[in-house]
Amino acid sequence: MTTVRKDTYRWSARGFIAPGVLLVAVLLYLPLLWTTYLSFTEYNGLGDPDWVGFSNYIDMWRDPAMVGSVLNTLMWVVGTLLIPVGLGLLLAVLTFDLKGGVWLRLPFLIPYAVSGIGVGLVWSFVLQSNGALDQALAVFGVTDPPRWLLDVPLNTLVMICAAAWQGVGVNALLFTIGLQSIPKEPLEAARLDGAGPLRLFGSIMWPMLAPLTTVVVGLSIVGSLKTFDIVMGMTKGGPGRQSETLAVTMYRDAFVNANYGSGSAIAVFLMIVTLLASLLYLRRQLSAKHEF
Amino acid sequence: MKLGRRLAALGSVLAAGALLVSCSGGGGGSSAGEVEGTLDFYTNKGAWEPDFEALNPLSEEAIGIDLDIASYSDQPQYEAFIRQSFRTDESPGLFTWATGPQLQELVDEGLIAETTDIWDEAIEEGWVSEDLKQYYTYDDKQYCVPLNIAYWVMYYNIPIFEENGIEVPTTWDELMDAAATFSDNGVTPFYTTSTLFTFVWFETLVAGTDPELYQGLETGEVSYTDPRIVEIMNTWLEQEEAGWFTDPGSTTDPATMLNNGEMAMINFGTFFSGSLKGVGMEPGVDYGTFIIPAVDPGLDKTPVPVETGPLCTAENSPQRERGLEYARWWMGPEAQGAWNSARGDVPFNPQAEVSDEGLAELGEEIASGDYELVTRYFEAAPPPVLTVALEQLGAFIANPGDPLPYLQTIQDAADAYWAEQE
Amino acid sequence: MVSRIIRTIVLAIAGIVWLAPVYLLIVNAAKAPSAYNPRESWVPDGGALLENFAEAIRLSGLGDSVVSTLIYATVAPGVAVIVGASAGFAIVALRLKHGFWWFVFLFGGSIFPLQMIILPLFDGYSRTGLYDERIGMILIYTAISVPFSAFVMRNFFTGVSYNTFEAAVIDGANTWRIFTRMYLPMSASALVAIFILQATFIWNDLLLGLTLSQSDEVRPIVTTLAGMQNTYGGAQLPTVLAAGIIVSLPTVILFLFTQRFFARGLALGQY
Repeated sequence: MTTVRKDTYRWSARGFIAPGVLLVAVLLYLPLLWTTYLSFTEYNGLGDPDWVGFSNYIDMWRDPAMVGSVLNTLMWVVGTLLIPVGLGLLLAVLTFDLKGGVWLRLPFLIPYAVSGIGVGLVWSFVLQSNGALDQALAVFGVTDPPRWLLDVPLNTLVMICAAAWQGVGVNALLFTIGLQSIPKEPLEAARLDGAGPLRLFGSIMWPMLAPLTTVVVGLSIVGSLKTFDIVMGMTKGGPGRQSETLAVTMYRDAFVNANYGSGSAIAVFLMIVTLLASLLYLRRQLSAKHEF
Repeated sequence: MKLGRRLAALGSVLAAGALLVSCSGGGGGSSAGEVEGTLDFYTNKGAWEPDFEALNPLSEEAIGIDLDIASYSDQPQYEAFIRQSFRTDESPGLFTWATGPQLQELVDEGLIAETTDIWDEAIEEGWVSEDLKQYYTYDDKQYCVPLNIAYWVMYYNIPIFEENGIEVPTTWDELMDAAATFSDNGVTPFYTTSTLFTFVWFETLVAGTDPELYQGLETGEVSYTDPRIVEIMNTWLEQEEAGWFTDPGSTTDPATMLNNGEMAMINFGTFFSGSLKGVGMEPGVDYGTFIIPAVDPGLDKTPVPVETGPLCTAENSPQRERGLEYARWWMGPEAQGAWNSARGDVPFNPQAEVSDEGLAELGEEIASGDYELVTRYFEAAPPPVLTVALEQLGAFIANPGDPLPYLQTIQDAADAYWAEQE
Repeated sequence: MVSRIIRTIVLAIAGIVWLAPVYLLIVNAAKAPSAYNPRESWVPDGGALLENFAEAIRLSGLGDSVVSTLIYATVAPGVAVIVGASAGFAIVALRLKHGFWWFVFLFGGSIFPLQMIILPLFDGYSRTGLYDERIGMILIYTAISVPFSAFVMRNFFTGVSYNTFEAAVIDGANTWRIFTRMYLPMSASALVAIFILQATFIWNDLLLGLTLSQSDEVRPIVTTLAGMQNTYGGAQLPTVLAAGIIVSLPTVILFLFTQRFFARGLALGQY
């Protein structure tokens, strides 16, 4: 077997990766540097920032709402892995070899195409007191339904479900792409050998799905850590500050209170957590095969 | 600081590279200095965009200026954008803001163009009452002009009042009796929400009980845990427990709720008339307004919370002159008359024609001398205290119970704020 | 066979349940604003859908922003897909030195909340003349689409046997040719999927549009809509829902049309 020497394509490889690196560096990392700088200052958006060292990083833990915010964010991470990712995988596996599987997946994809405004509005009138869900439950004789968006931690749970409503289809789509890249022969052979669906999934599909699973789980971890829109749209972090996520807490400090230093500190903290989580995860998943 | 500058410089260099890709320069301020032309106007009152546009033909004819409107729906994001814009060439020739500490902060930084001339002229012409001037005055100079004025009063559903045989209350006791009667008849008396407008009933109760106490909260002289405040909160708690308020978990538009009779009354600013028009309610037929009587009947004057939003021009805006010219025109009766018919608001200009009779009467009544205007809580409280107060009052509304922990959290924020001011 | 039928039926029912909120969206968008009653959200009532559409378009001045949004939602993800694929190609096929860390660098662009960089972006844009320019919007939309696209493409290419690449080299193809003639075509389904997801994201973006543009010609479509309803009054819920439907239609149609593409079930295993 001929081996292409590692360095043969050094310049070519650099050329291929350059456009992406440039775009991301200038438009995303550069502004981020400014944010990181701000996290060490006190700044109200007017005048010049005052250097305060690490005090924003220390003070943020004095805020009792911060702990709740971290716990809610954790709930989002775990919940998002269980519901939208788990259901997405199930949906992909159930439909990929069905005739018309594409059309069966479609209803789950449509919510993703519905604009954010639409999603927020629809779910808040589904979940509000005496809203569509309560009205539907009343038909089944439930007269005293839970206060979906007012009670903790129920409000976070139902918001995770609303997020799942939008996200399942996309995850299923990505998993389906993975399943389609699996060679048909081993599957057929195993099937002829009388392997049940569970064994087919466990011994053939699941291992072959690994690259796409990495993508979906990785994106899900990153996405759920910075959950923002849906919480802002439905509870604004309330009642009080009980359903805040880290991104919402950051937004409250930086934008609502015009305290950019402390908002930036939360952003940097969130970023480091996300980076660590994804590094740990990605290294384990990716390094096995492709650490050069 | 040095690092920051260096980073900013680095950013500019790199972004300048990106500029080479783009062919033309920035959006707005190309025609600096010229007064006539298109004025870039930034507002957080996005819903009013069609109404502002309706005034364009008029302003173009009168002063040769028309507005290009950029509207924002998210309040905090809007504020952050405006703050940031002062550092750039995009600082706005005209933008909406909030009076009170919010405006003061910008004026203190020297970011706002002075409007003393415009105010002098307007007062001389009788276009605006002297009372309003205080909200725009810092160090004897004026900044910005009023965009609008709104009184916080009670809106009520007329058919529901009639069905239940209730007259418009003229004293606090009558209002309480009315609420009790409604409640007994299965009608929810009042509207409430657990997000944003959570301060309304608190404001009404505190200001109506003792305007000085209310003002003390504003200046930090009165603690939120003051026994008098706790007592007021306990009164509110009793009313909550009596089921006098709508479900805070409802996110339905309050105009729709009043139209459908989900509650009999709602305590809101007079800009609410525009929303009621949107759901097809007729003033005087479907809904009416009354000034909420003072809780303490012994008060000389009944306090009425007032809100006035400014139209401002940035001092360093490339469109400074154009913005000021528009502001001057805006104060006049022509603009105010047109605005009133487009928007259905109480005009601040007494010479402007008011199409809504109810609002016209309300404006005259408040001017009669039996009332005392108090600054709305939203503009009265310092922003960091306001944020916490809105959250805690929201939490209290969602989970009514012992008010002390909620008040203590607000007071902690107030302590931190006032400590920093010294 | 029986199991397949059962599966189909169960999935179809689940799909219908899944669409219930969409049903609510449409039914309530068709109600006359003055007769709207939130207590009867499941009951279809009246055919005011077209009137509400018209009112939504009138209120928001949607017309102006359609063209620019279309440009953003096609050009930016289009470029990003190619840029991302080329990065994946460099890392996986060309075995770029420290490829994992370059990959982490690209992916890292997606891990922080966007809210945190919009202000410095606005500052930089207004200083360089990119503010309120279409090219500025295209640039930022492309940049935020690159991490996702690089992530998916990198992982997709790891599934492609390295022999494929070596065989092509032996045939005398240069890297550009291998990339454009082999790798891009074979990853069509992944490219299309990324394109659609990113196009949808951009089409629905509110945050960047609000911060980096001002004029009607440059502002994206959702931004003009968002101002319709706020605390200072504005459009009624049915009108806003109608606006939500108008904005969502293009992306829903995009999904419907590209479905056929996924239906072919590209047999990638052969590579």
